[in-house]
Amino acid sequence: MTWLDFDGNVYYIRHMTQFGPTVRDIRERLRRDDRRYSVRQVAQRVGIEPAYLSKIERGEVAPPSEATTVRLAAELGQDPDVLLALAGKVSGDLQEIIRKRPRLFADLIRQLKEAPDEAVLRVVREVRDGDW
Amino acid sequence: MIILENDRLEFRFPDVHERARCAIEFQRTLRIPDDGNDYPLPPGLGSFPLRHVDDYAARLPEAWHRRGGVMTPMHQAEALWISFHSGYPFAVKVATGKVCAVTGDAWVDHLNRGPQDYLVLPDQPWLDGYCVERGIIRQFVAMPLGEGYTVEEQLTGAAQHGGLQIVAYPMKAGRYEALLGRQARLADEGPVYYSESPGMGLAPGGRMRQHLERDHHRLDAWDQRHGSRCFVSIVNTAQWAAITGERPPTEPPSARVYTEHGLPWFDYYGSDATALAGSETLQGVASVAQHAKAAGKAPLPGNETIAVPHVVGLGGARRRRVREPAAGGTWA
Repeated sequence: MTWLDFDGNVYYIRHMTQFGPTVRDIRERLRRDDRRYSVRQVAQRVGIEPAYLSKIERGEVAPPSEATTVRLAAELGQDPDVLLALAGKVSGDLQEIIRKRPRLFADLIRQLKEAPDEAVLRVVREVRDGDW
Repeated sequence: MIILENDRLEFRFPDVHERARCAIEFQRTLRIPDDGNDYPLPPGLGSFPLRHVDDYAARLPEAWHRRGGVMTPMHQAEALWISFHSGYPFAVKVATGKVCAVTGDAWVDHLNRGPQDYLVLPDQPWLDGYCVERGIIRQFVAMPLGEGYTVEEQLTGAAQHGGLQIVAYPMKAGRYEALLGRQARLADEGPVYYSESPGMGLAPGGRMRQHLERDHHRLDAWDQRHGSRCFVSIVNTAQWAAITGERPPTEPPSARVYTEHGLPWFDYYGSDATALAGSETLQGVASVAQHAKAAGKAPLPGNETIAVPHVVGLGGARRRRVREPAAGGTWA
């Protein structure tokens, strides 16, 4: 839970990103088939306190660090970039890529922001097949 | 199209179906003893790095550049398994040194049914080696080309290609939609130059219990107009750092050390009724230990027979099919 002082008013906000509910939905779905996906066991495998995972799922605390989010994604079989995006984060390796050539990548991302998936895929580098 | 993402080959066919995508990665693992015994599945110890061959063209033989694809580093006598991830049905062919790992036949791009020379995803979660008997494979083990160990050398007499070759064909969109309709509930899912030496190839190691699933679709279910293929060159770890500037992964522990630490092995229960028969051609290929013995060479280190007391069952369609030391259930 967070208290913010904004224009003299105090606002009580919960971290109402989709991160927590999404994590809870995925974990609960997995738990229906496999009891190893209880809050306690998932938290243990990810290396955090069960109470903390519970608060994350309820949106009572901000999404966890990048490293924890990536471990959580692996544990739940999710794409780490998708979970990081839900947490409002960009992975460290992507930040590093942008930092190296900021103008180039900023231009590229803006140019592609409305493009359909097929158009984005056209600029993705393919593994070249040769003569063998 | 194939893209390289986080050391995975991602096959995507947006022209066929928006869901037509699968990922393939190469897992580091223990080399199981090549002692004639049948072992359960060893763990995955993380994926091998993959890099575009084109990025290092100036430091690689011209032949490598010509065939394109990606490259990966392996220690001599290191083992690997191939991990498949897909919710969409795919037919995937795997060869080493351009010899099919399922049938032992020479590489052709297209799929064959008699005998079946491909794997079907998502039924097949992984491939650890050459299909030598029904329910038994011989583990993929990296050996230098030119010493006669590899399947390619034993079957063709030449050390020409090495590496791994993969082609993936998605199911036709119409067939997939029909399947989805029938299974609606399940669908929720400073330059250094090297010689022309082709590097490393794969040879058959120890025996392992693994079913390769028979295709239960018709051959015309697969969209063979839309295949994508990739050549995976294998670089000796000694050369990897000089070529890429990156340190290769460390050598995995021996099977004995891993097992003595109480870490789990795995079993995935398939049905003999749906498993492919082994290839007589591949059955006739000498394993690394057999070849070394015939050549009067010492066996590979760490080849002593081991007892495997801790085997985690991965059976059941709804269980996660994870082969990691930490996925061992109650052992931790």
